[in-house]
Amino acid sequence: MSPEPLLAIESVELGYGRATAVQDASLTVDAGEVVGLIGPNGAGKSTLLLGVMGVVTPRRGSISLNGRSLAGVSTDQRVRDGIGLVPEGRHIFADLTVEENLRLGLVGRAAREGLSEDLEWIYSLFPVVQESRSRAAGLLSGGQQQQLAIARALMGRPRLLLLDEPSLGLSPMMIETVFNALAQISGHGVTAVIVEQRAQITVEFASRTYVLTNGRIVAELTPADAQDTERLIAAYLD
Amino acid sequence: MNVAQTIFDGLALGALYALVAMGLALVFGVMRLINFAQGELITAGAYSLSLTGSLPLIVSILICFIVCVGLALLLDIAFRRLRGADPTTALVATFAVALTLEAVWTIAFGTNGKPADLLSALNTSLTHGSLQLRWVTITMIVGGAALLAATALVLDRTSIGLQMRAAARDFRAARLLGVRTNRVIAFAFAMSGVFAAVVALLYTVQVPDVTPQFGLDITIVALVGAVTGGLDRLWQAAAGGFVIGFANAALGDILPSSQRVYVTTFLFLLVIIVLLVRPDGLFASLRRVNTDRV
Amino acid sequence: MRLLRNTVPLLGVIAILVVVALIGESTSLATQQDFITALVSVVIVYGLYVFVGNAGVISFGHISFVAVGAFAAGELTIPTEPKHFTLPGLIPLLADHSVSNIASLAIAFAAGAIFALIAGAPLMRLNGIAAGIATFAILEITNNLLSFDTNIGPGATTLSLVPTSTGIFQALLGAILAAVLAFAYQRSRRGRLLRATREDPQAARAMGVNITRERLVAFVLSGGIAGLGGGLLVHQLGSITTNQVFLDLTFITLAMLVVGGSRSLLGATVGAIGVSLIDSFLLTAVNSVHVVFFNLTLPSGSADLGLGALMALMLLWRPRGVTGGRELSLPRLTRLTRRPGSADKRGAA
Repeated sequence: MSPEPLLAIESVELGYGRATAVQDASLTVDAGEVVGLIGPNGAGKSTLLLGVMGVVTPRRGSISLNGRSLAGVSTDQRVRDGIGLVPEGRHIFADLTVEENLRLGLVGRAAREGLSEDLEWIYSLFPVVQESRSRAAGLLSGGQQQQLAIARALMGRPRLLLLDEPSLGLSPMMIETVFNALAQISGHGVTAVIVEQRAQITVEFASRTYVLTNGRIVAELTPADAQDTERLIAAYLD
Repeated sequence: MNVAQTIFDGLALGALYALVAMGLALVFGVMRLINFAQGELITAGAYSLSLTGSLPLIVSILICFIVCVGLALLLDIAFRRLRGADPTTALVATFAVALTLEAVWTIAFGTNGKPADLLSALNTSLTHGSLQLRWVTITMIVGGAALLAATALVLDRTSIGLQMRAAARDFRAARLLGVRTNRVIAFAFAMSGVFAAVVALLYTVQVPDVTPQFGLDITIVALVGAVTGGLDRLWQAAAGGFVIGFANAALGDILPSSQRVYVTTFLFLLVIIVLLVRPDGLFASLRRVNTDRV
Repeated sequence: MRLLRNTVPLLGVIAILVVVALIGESTSLATQQDFITALVSVVIVYGLYVFVGNAGVISFGHISFVAVGAFAAGELTIPTEPKHFTLPGLIPLLADHSVSNIASLAIAFAAGAIFALIAGAPLMRLNGIAAGIATFAILEITNNLLSFDTNIGPGATTLSLVPTSTGIFQALLGAILAAVLAFAYQRSRRGRLLRATREDPQAARAMGVNITRERLVAFVLSGGIAGLGGGLLVHQLGSITTNQVFLDLTFITLAMLVVGGSRSLLGATVGAIGVSLIDSFLLTAVNSVHVVFFNLTLPSGSADLGLGALMALMLLWRPRGVTGGRELSLPRLTRLTRRPGSADKRGAA
């Protein structure tokens, strides 16, 4: 049994103004795992990730990294502590070059050591990123931008990588490329949380997948459940 | 020759307004805030030059920079509350701060001009054939260009410059990458302070009398220029500032003397036409990139 | 009952105006001018509010409508004989006619509205900062022309010999009229449509709303009200210069609206009256004022300092304005009259 989980979310309530996006969510992520988080649109998945990043403050409950509470810790400090986010819609800086986008990923890196090895590894994961280094990032295709977004987050040497809908708007072939890369990233020891609307591929890929509906965690699925369509649908419609 | 004279005057005034426009665009880029108080930084710098007139030149200039950057950082702190506020409110707030500071100068120094003729040696002329060029004009053009070049280097080559550019494009995404947004914004303000100091230095040579309204008048015209050029891109804003400065000087020379009082009207008619034809700015989409609009 | 509830915001505002007028009536003659100023400011701010509050687009040009209204009303009420002497360059339309007080106010309204129509028609499709700068350009151009063209005005000199017909009563009537117009517009179908475009322009366009046209309607009405304010102003002062209807007035009007709360009529009212009275107080204090036990004499420039600092602090503390965009409503009344199941539309425009 491993010691504390890398990430622990306990009975968290998150909202904007008067609206509540996440009513009551609890989940844990152990080091080295890949955990999925699926649910219908508007269920609160993105908000949960933003809560982990410190952009939205929980009204109730706690979020801890390696047993240490993250309350009061600024976003930039959390990034330096080892949490990286690949945001929904990628949000790459279109006017900056691919290389400049990568350099920005360095801002959140705690220490410069190991940079050249990391860069080599990242380029091997995403050759297209290396090839288009000096091009404006906005000229890349959707799939290439997604790869850049992940590469950029990896530049910060995160221990925990959060991905918000990495398959959004991508062709099936591209999705396969991205998930293959994610498998390698996980194999490298990076813990990952993948938020997705595509239930099947996530449940198959992750070691465990939580289902978030209407702001609550309603189920925890394993890859064995990936083929059980009824169970998947039931979880969504709870 | 008159045309050459006009061109040089236009270049000098254009350079000046380009600097002010750049200061405005820097802060706008990272904070989406139009800082009307930018002009007060210039006035503060000018007054400090006036007050330290008896000290050695280098010391005087150094103090001017310290005053401008210091005041700029104070403004940064004061405007923290405005982050995320409604743009109209923010605008009025900075205008209120500008007027408050203007009143402070009035109370402290009175409404009569205070002399600040440090570099008055520059008011001499260099004659080349029929062209009479004042050293101050040359200094303005060269100084302005140098500062803009230095800024380009900072933005392109340094990490903080890169972070500023990123924050200006997509503040949230930058923050999520771990960019220390407070630091970036403070740096933008500090840079605008440096610009203000340079403008104060150059302008007082030309107009050695410092009055309380000094800065705000320049700021408003520079803002119009910056918006006309395209406020959301630094170089477009600077170019817009340059154009309006140049046009201001040129129109003054071109119009027949009977119509010269209407320079303002012609200038602003041009501004309206430009805004109608190209609302995003005169120089917008010269380099159109497929933006990831999410 | 429902009609009463719907007009409560307007009645409340009118009540405030009447109270201000009554207080003004009962003070000394000198202070009375401050209250008249407050009421005239209300009209001018309403002018700005009708556009900014409903369209959500900033305008720095509204004082040019005030200027047009002021100069038009002023010039047309100067008796023709002295006018031919003091303003020899005036075009015949302005030089050869002299109208009554009421007519001049109506003309001021019309002049403001027509000018707004001409100047605004090309500009209504602009948004955000571009709109702000374009309207600012209108202000600069108007000021420039009025300051130097002796065909339409006194040029660089003061326009004087205007009858001072704006007392408390005229100012109050003007303010009430402006309030009724503003309220009627914001509650009308057109006004609501425009507010909808403020919230979500794309949805509104998808529903077939012609944003440019609706904005122009608001702009013209606001120009008229602002023009009326100019007419009232020139009849209060008995004279006018272009400097009095330029940058300072632009800023203070905008500040009044924003401090009060730019989304509601109540906000515009509160902001205008509050800021105006404070400004008057500070200006008087620069000379000398008796505050409780001691005399207060502030150095010159303090009025601006006090006002500016107040504005800045106010906005930094409450960026949505004092009223936060809410109109007046009577909670008890609505509870009594509300039928079970119906939605409570409190705070809606």
